[in-house]
Amino acid sequence: MRNLVQPVLTIAVKDIRDALKDRFIILMTAFLLLASLVALAVAAIALKVDVATYAEAKAGLIALGKDASTIPDPAFYPLKLLRGFVEHVEIIGAIIGILIGYRAAASERGRQTLALIVTRPISQWQFLAGKVLAGTAIISSGLILAFVIAGIAVIAISGIVLNPEDIGRLAIVMSAAGLYALAFFLLGFVTALWAKKLPNALLLAFTVWLSFVLIAPQIGDTLDPDNQVAGGVFKQLQIAKPQQVEILQSFSTYETIRNGIEVASPTKHFERLSFAVLGIKDTYAGQPLMPILAEKTSDMIWLLAIALALALLLFARRLDPNRLSKE
Amino acid sequence: MGNAAANAPIRLLVAQSLSTIARERTVALLALLFLVLVVVAAYLGWSATSTVNAIYLRSVDYMTAQGQTIPSNPVLDTSPLALLRNMATYVSLIGALAAIVVGHQLIASDRKAGTMPLLGTRPMRGIDLGTAKALALVIAIAALVAFAAFINTATFLVLPEFRLDGAGWTKLAAFYATSGLYLLVFGFLGMWFGAAAKSETVGLLIPVTVWLTLTFVLPQITSNINPVAALNPVSALADAPASAFFQVTGWALGPFSLAEAYRVISAQLLDFMPPTYVDRAAIPAAASLLIAAAGVGTIATRAVARMDMTKGDYDA
Repeated sequence: MRNLVQPVLTIAVKDIRDALKDRFIILMTAFLLLASLVALAVAAIALKVDVATYAEAKAGLIALGKDASTIPDPAFYPLKLLRGFVEHVEIIGAIIGILIGYRAAASERGRQTLALIVTRPISQWQFLAGKVLAGTAIISSGLILAFVIAGIAVIAISGIVLNPEDIGRLAIVMSAAGLYALAFFLLGFVTALWAKKLPNALLLAFTVWLSFVLIAPQIGDTLDPDNQVAGGVFKQLQIAKPQQVEILQSFSTYETIRNGIEVASPTKHFERLSFAVLGIKDTYAGQPLMPILAEKTSDMIWLLAIALALALLLFARRLDPNRLSKE
Repeated sequence: MGNAAANAPIRLLVAQSLSTIARERTVALLALLFLVLVVVAAYLGWSATSTVNAIYLRSVDYMTAQGQTIPSNPVLDTSPLALLRNMATYVSLIGALAAIVVGHQLIASDRKAGTMPLLGTRPMRGIDLGTAKALALVIAIAALVAFAAFINTATFLVLPEFRLDGAGWTKLAAFYATSGLYLLVFGFLGMWFGAAAKSETVGLLIPVTVWLTLTFVLPQITSNINPVAALNPVSALADAPASAFFQVTGWALGPFSLAEAYRVISAQLLDFMPPTYVDRAAIPAAASLLIAAAGVGTIATRAVARMDMTKGDYDA
């Protein structure tokens, strides 16, 4: 057993050491942290404006001698501040996954060491497993750092200490983010390992990223009729929620197609799960965790299935000797 | 005569550069994806508009039964040009990425082919090479935008319910001119780092990082637009909270927030600008794009002109 695992660990440790020397991966992780902190700071400022508006409206009513209880007290959920952070993880986290995967293959092809490795007494699966293990460790470290900083920032901004359940929610979203970034790591690794020309592999991975991370959710979002009119079509027509649901029943085929386009994207699965668990989506705010997890299990399974499918693709195909060098 | 002779190497370099990138499969792939999305943008606009219209008609039945006052149809309040509102998003996503790749490949293809030392032996100034590459980029971007314009023009001609008048066609032409200008900024960025970077990968990744910052980070600071909201042409024009912070950041950083500047101009030209939207930037959005294109274009041209002609391929 030790003989089987030792080469995997050797490759993984070497790859982690190499990746830490790659300035661009460090730079992109720093960029994610910076963008996340910006998102949190901006969310806090926007929240402060909302609170001030509420206080002003309440004071106005009291000054007019009216009953201030007609304005409901605003509910504050600190994890809601993480919306921009989660969205940055969706976009930049996927890019970091691709870059780490690309580097894992490119570092060997660029130095022509891949051909050398296959001459050593090491199986192909051990080499690939070492690379995947290293990628998983690097992605996990980056995400743990990002989520810890985000958690601390939420506490600092809101002044509310997160309870164990909030920390559990953050840990669930972080695990989902790890799985999501791992899928993109595998995409970057597979394309860089198999592409005839290395830079083309990066462009191909970026094209897939663009299609599934940005374009598919964008099409789904744009087709949502409520996003077609500023403020929302039903709001403009002044139609209450129950009637909205009734009217939309006539558009079930349209909605099925729209939803189908959205769920083709792993990003949307990650987003739906995260927004529900963190209570970012209003319907889930303040709701207990277990029922949310039960409802969103399918999103977690989708993320797992995508990562597994890519891993299967990676391990099933033999390394092509014609693809072992840089060009 | 003398002028024509001086321009001959530039013409040759432009023709050679264009024929080289035309053969690049990644350029072809991204250009094709962009053109597919141009068609998708028109379809999405038509489909979403028709659905909103159908929802309105269903709502009218309900409101009539309830004895409510019937508001006007929001579809009738929108201009036919708003059918193409998704174009603004696709130009700023796939169009910008395609422009980066075109700009990058214009330089990278020569560097990888090892032709730089050969070019260095020719009776030609560095600035001629820079000018030729910049001209090739302008022509390539113009071709991409012209194809998109052709597809959208055909869309309006085959959909009789969306008729444009003279002013509408002028606005559409202005939208494509603006899109070309916006794409040039990213094309020049790709060219700049294609020439200046020691590694091909870094030369590609730096412009992509700049694009990410302009598209997703700056709009958040200036207008509280979350990254995913930036993908929706209507949601991206939500009003910033009434706070001194957004007043200051919008004014000071607005001129650098090019994706936002492009969205504002697109919304004005394609008639989907929300009436309450306030542009807080210190200078007009069009001026931001013009200054950025001219500035980055000059830097990119100089970066190409100053390339080391004794070196061929990238270091890594």
